[in-house]
Amino acid sequence: MSFRSIFVISALSIMLVSALPFFERSEGNAIASEKQETALTMKADTNHLSGINLFIARLYNEDRVLYATMVTLVMAVLGTFLAFVTDLILKALGLEVSRISHRE
Amino acid sequence: MDIFNIYLPVAGIEFNVVLLILIGFCVGVLGGFFGVGGGWIVTPALNIFGFHMAFAIGTDLSNIFGQTIGAVKKHQKMGNIDWKLGLISIATSIVGLEIGSDVIIALEKAGDVGMIVRWCYMLLLWGLGSYMLHDYFATRPKEDDDIDRAGARTPANKSGQQKPGISERLHRITLSPMVSFPASGIDEVSIWIILLIFLFTGFLSGFLGVGGGFIIMPALVYLIGLPTAVAVGTSLVTVLFSGAYGCLTYALKGRVEIIAAMIMLIGASIGAQVGSTAVKYIKGYGIRLLFSVMIIFAGFSVATEQAYKITQNQTFQTFAGVVLMGTALSMSVIIIGKLVADARKERDKSSIIKKHH
Repeated sequence: MSFRSIFVISALSIMLVSALPFFERSEGNAIASEKQETALTMKADTNHLSGINLFIARLYNEDRVLYATMVTLVMAVLGTFLAFVTDLILKALGLEVSRISHRE
Repeated sequence: MDIFNIYLPVAGIEFNVVLLILIGFCVGVLGGFFGVGGGWIVTPALNIFGFHMAFAIGTDLSNIFGQTIGAVKKHQKMGNIDWKLGLISIATSIVGLEIGSDVIIALEKAGDVGMIVRWCYMLLLWGLGSYMLHDYFATRPKEDDDIDRAGARTPANKSGQQKPGISERLHRITLSPMVSFPASGIDEVSIWIILLIFLFTGFLSGFLGVGGGFIIMPALVYLIGLPTAVAVGTSLVTVLFSGAYGCLTYALKGRVEIIAAMIMLIGASIGAQVGSTAVKYIKGYGIRLLFSVMIIFAGFSVATEQAYKITQNQTFQTFAGVVLMGTALSMSVIIIGKLVADARKERDKSSIIKKHH
């Protein structure tokens, strides 16, 4: 890949990303964010929550150690699982890896 | 874009799912390819789009932990990890990190430490980026040139002799005890040199408040003399451990938004696998070229952030985020493009050979 193409791609990407700040932030989002900026509330608001969101918010409020353990375990298990699935897909696409020779 | 917004119960905000996956994917590609965590991209990006800074850091570290597991596994398969060196790096960097953070606390009493840190950060990013660019143009191997040591090479002088590189000079210091790192192809080096290097990289991490992947990777190449692919893999070991520790400690402090981290991890895990696979196809000097361009752009982002702190003009801060995300996105596109092109080339080559037979 030539330098010219590298810079063209970089310029295009920067232009594309320039549009990202215009993603509309909802009013509720902005207010919540502002509230968090001033004082980081250590309790999650469980009003109007249901299902998995309610479970997570309750766990966060009631047992921080269990919440931390769950976060760490979930990230490890999900990370391993997703890596495994992606690896299978890449293999199917012919992008299998094996021991490589270290050429500079 | 509101249809993609979801409510994040712990952070108490709404966030765009597509944006989360996109940020995760970009940082995953860069992490797997360069051996960095990518916190310097994710944290400001999440913060710009509405996350409180503490939540942005905690969520980012959790994502780094998850994405690095797969990347480490893949690099291990490719023989890119020197576990012995990686574990020494973790142990020594912690000491350096403590010294670095102590210096920051001492400077805090003297005045605006943020300004000093940002100047140092800019100098480091631009200095390192320029050096790596210079190294690329001076020592880029010609076609079919198999050279194992990138950092050990420097351009030939007028008489045509190769000057010893920094790592070669460091390897000549015979201060016992000497150690070897067979996985990296290093026969003998003083342990004191290794400890000093990691102490220094740890110090920089603590001083600049960064994870350290982007400091460790070039240090492994240019100071210790590892092949670039091994430096990437070994650097990821350090990133994995710091990510795991960061994930746990920030979650204990209640600063991890688990839903956001999980969604980001979907993009990041895919990205990390793609990035790691690309290391197989792109040669060491190509990795170093892209890395140098990336950190030079990161330096521009820090400079813009500095301009914001001085002028308090919000435009500068937004621009800093745009530069960071733009760099991450363009690098990801380049890496994927190169991966696809080289994989195709390899497939065509092997099909021609098969036809021949």
